[in-house]
Amino acid sequence: MLSHHSFFKWLIGYEIQRKRNLLRAPEGPLKDFLSVPFPSVNSLFKEADILAVDFETTGLDAVQDKLLSVGFVELSQQHIKLNTCYHQIINTKQKLKADNVIIHQITDQQQKQGLPLEVVVEDLLKALAGKVMLVHYARIEREFLQQACLELYGLAPSFPMIDTLVIAKRRLDKKDVAYDPSELKLGALRENHQLPQYFAHNALNDAIATAELLLAQTSNYPVKTALKEFLL
Amino acid sequence: MDTELAEISTFVQAIPPFDQLPSLLLGKVIKAFSICYVNKDQTLPPQYCVNRPLFMIRKGALTYRDNTGELLGKYGEGDLCTVFCQENLASDIKVITEEDTLLYSIDYHELERLVADYPAVINFFSHSAEERLNDKMSQVNEDAIIASSLLNTGINQFYHTPVATIAHNRSIQDAAIKMTEHKFSCLVIVDDGDKNASKATKAVGIVTDKDLRQRCIAKGLDFANPVSEIMTSNMLTINHDSSAYDALMLMTAKRIHHLPVMRNNQLHAMVTITDLMNNESQNAVNLTHIIRKAKSVDELAETSLLLPKLQIRMAKLGTTADHVGKSISAITMAFTIRLIELAEKQLGQAPVPYAWLAAGSQARQEQFAHSDQDNALIISDKMTPEDDKWFEQLATFVSDGLAKCGFIYCPGNIMATNNQWRQPQKKWHEYFRKWVETPSPKALLNSSVFFDLTTVYGDASLLEEVRARLLKKTKGNTLFLAHLSKNALALRPPLGFFRDFVLIKNGENKNVLDLKHNGIAPIVDLARIYALSEGVAATNTIERLRQVAGTPSLTKASAANLIDAYEFLGLLRMAHQAKKLQAHEQPDNYLAPKNISKLEREHLKDAFKVIKTLQDSRQSAY
Repeated sequence: MLSHHSFFKWLIGYEIQRKRNLLRAPEGPLKDFLSVPFPSVNSLFKEADILAVDFETTGLDAVQDKLLSVGFVELSQQHIKLNTCYHQIINTKQKLKADNVIIHQITDQQQKQGLPLEVVVEDLLKALAGKVMLVHYARIEREFLQQACLELYGLAPSFPMIDTLVIAKRRLDKKDVAYDPSELKLGALRENHQLPQYFAHNALNDAIATAELLLAQTSNYPVKTALKEFLL
Repeated sequence: MDTELAEISTFVQAIPPFDQLPSLLLGKVIKAFSICYVNKDQTLPPQYCVNRPLFMIRKGALTYRDNTGELLGKYGEGDLCTVFCQENLASDIKVITEEDTLLYSIDYHELERLVADYPAVINFFSHSAEERLNDKMSQVNEDAIIASSLLNTGINQFYHTPVATIAHNRSIQDAAIKMTEHKFSCLVIVDDGDKNASKATKAVGIVTDKDLRQRCIAKGLDFANPVSEIMTSNMLTINHDSSAYDALMLMTAKRIHHLPVMRNNQLHAMVTITDLMNNESQNAVNLTHIIRKAKSVDELAETSLLLPKLQIRMAKLGTTADHVGKSISAITMAFTIRLIELAEKQLGQAPVPYAWLAAGSQARQEQFAHSDQDNALIISDKMTPEDDKWFEQLATFVSDGLAKCGFIYCPGNIMATNNQWRQPQKKWHEYFRKWVETPSPKALLNSSVFFDLTTVYGDASLLEEVRARLLKKTKGNTLFLAHLSKNALALRPPLGFFRDFVLIKNGENKNVLDLKHNGIAPIVDLARIYALSEGVAATNTIERLRQVAGTPSLTKASAANLIDAYEFLGLLRMAHQAKKLQAHEQPDNYLAPKNISKLEREHLKDAFKVIKTLQDSRQSAY
């Protein structure tokens, strides 16, 4: 299913990298996060503890642009647990661009009342400890989270991740027919799986929507499927 | 802060009983939800699910089957699955996903704990179909009592105070001027008496527009004469704490239009018939009064136009279907009686005693506006063949008259104009003997309408004798009752609803719910069977159920359940027909599921279940 290249690179890598980083990490949230082992790559996917995460940002560049809000929810043993849902706006201490506000609908006013980046990242790392991170289009969340860690703790660890976009892309690629990249958008994929419409561009809504999509995408997989089948 | 779950909240709060929760608590309940996804053709509950899950379908469909694989129901978006909340249910029902399904689930014990302060929410899940229906109907009946117009309304809701008065020694002209200036149609005449005494003014009489016309102008009386000369002295009054109904009855009986209201023996206010009539203009009592006075068929036809208005109004007041059925039936009866009286005037005395009978819904006192006419004539055995001409003319006159009044001719030709149903008493004995002793389902299907008969006019003993002999024969007559049951059980309530369709037994979908044939008629049929098998003479369905309650045919609890179901279905039909009538459309019994609220669907499903349970037990009895 997966190309064996990335399979080797990441599967062996995650735990080794975690242990290495643990030695270098300063006392605090990152160290706490790194001290919990990641789920074994050979464990059952259906029993895995997953955290569906979504970020709203001011742009696509993790260095220049800012993290605006974070939403996440736990997906454990195939059930999305709404009692774990989390949504927080971050005070970026800078004015928002109007065209951006239209997309994520976070106003300057709301933003000023948000929490500092370090508090929100700490919350996220706490929830993420020992879990696999689930996102739609991994680049944004990975780069922004690594950048935030770099700024806050001087270290950018790697995170074991599942990407619903990659799962969908792989499936389309296998069919060997041309497709429009817009078919890979979260909303389009959900529609494809007959999931209900949802209000996009709220970080928590998107996280829940992504988790539901993963459940739909993987519902046909045998019970014995290992976690590594889906890891990036 | 919780606006992020707004989408899920919006979805959940539209679903009874969650619609009863305040938003803060609803937020807490939603936080206790899990979301899971189950592929097509899987059995619920899914792996890793909580112990006692309550499911809510967000997308997809579920099918319920019993152990033999028979379809019990189908559920779609927004439906709840409570099968696994209670242990005893889960073993009998298999729940299978019919499509890929996205489910919300909550641990039932957790839900119970969260909504502990809202017993209605928990009752919704823990009560049986019968209990839920009962909850609903006791609430409806309370509302109906509160709403039932004049009887429960004090006249203080209608009267005007203070009363326009004039001193008894003022002139007639002064009175007329005062009435014109103030636009009063009447004045109360007062005697100030001895100015030095502390006694308050005393009402000594009343003067109306009509008095000015009849007692003064028409008689050429001098306008300068004191007004007391034309007043009605010993005037009727009513106490201030009487009901509006009492006032209406008094004014109708005494043919007066103004009624002074007294309080502590002092003139307090005035109530006029117009005030009451405006409120009760389409009142059943009032309508029968008009009918009784009608002098021609055309006049009756004109009055009949008020009937749909009356039905709309009663529906709006929250009157029970039972009450509406009785009122409309009483009015139909009044029309029929008046038509017979008019016919007798034209045709002369009847040659021999007879009785005009109503059959079907009118006989059961369950008629609604725009029903068809079902009638028959039972004539004394003394009749000669030549006498039939008179009865034929009577039947034609009345039947045509009823048709003019909006009661269409019976499509099955069950009318006194049909020679078959215009027969001497001995022939009727013979009919019933044949139906009971050598029954066939087909014969009974056509004649079942005659097992609900009532005398509208004439010699009631004619029918009573026939009925008495019939009931003696039917009581405990298993063969006859088996045939009757076979017909009755042919009409089955649907299983429930699936999305915007009505789900039928074999899994078929229908666009509309036929309230009459899939709900009301099966109960009417059951009640008839119980009544005939227990020898009960009543024809009204609720009355029959009440009388057979506690007999071997029907337990008290089952009777109460059927009555609840019957009244709920009647209520829906009434509301539906009121809407149709108001839109000037032909009232029918077809409800589109998309127009049935979620809560009504739940109650309907409960009603169907009650009917099905009793039909099943009837079936197994033979």
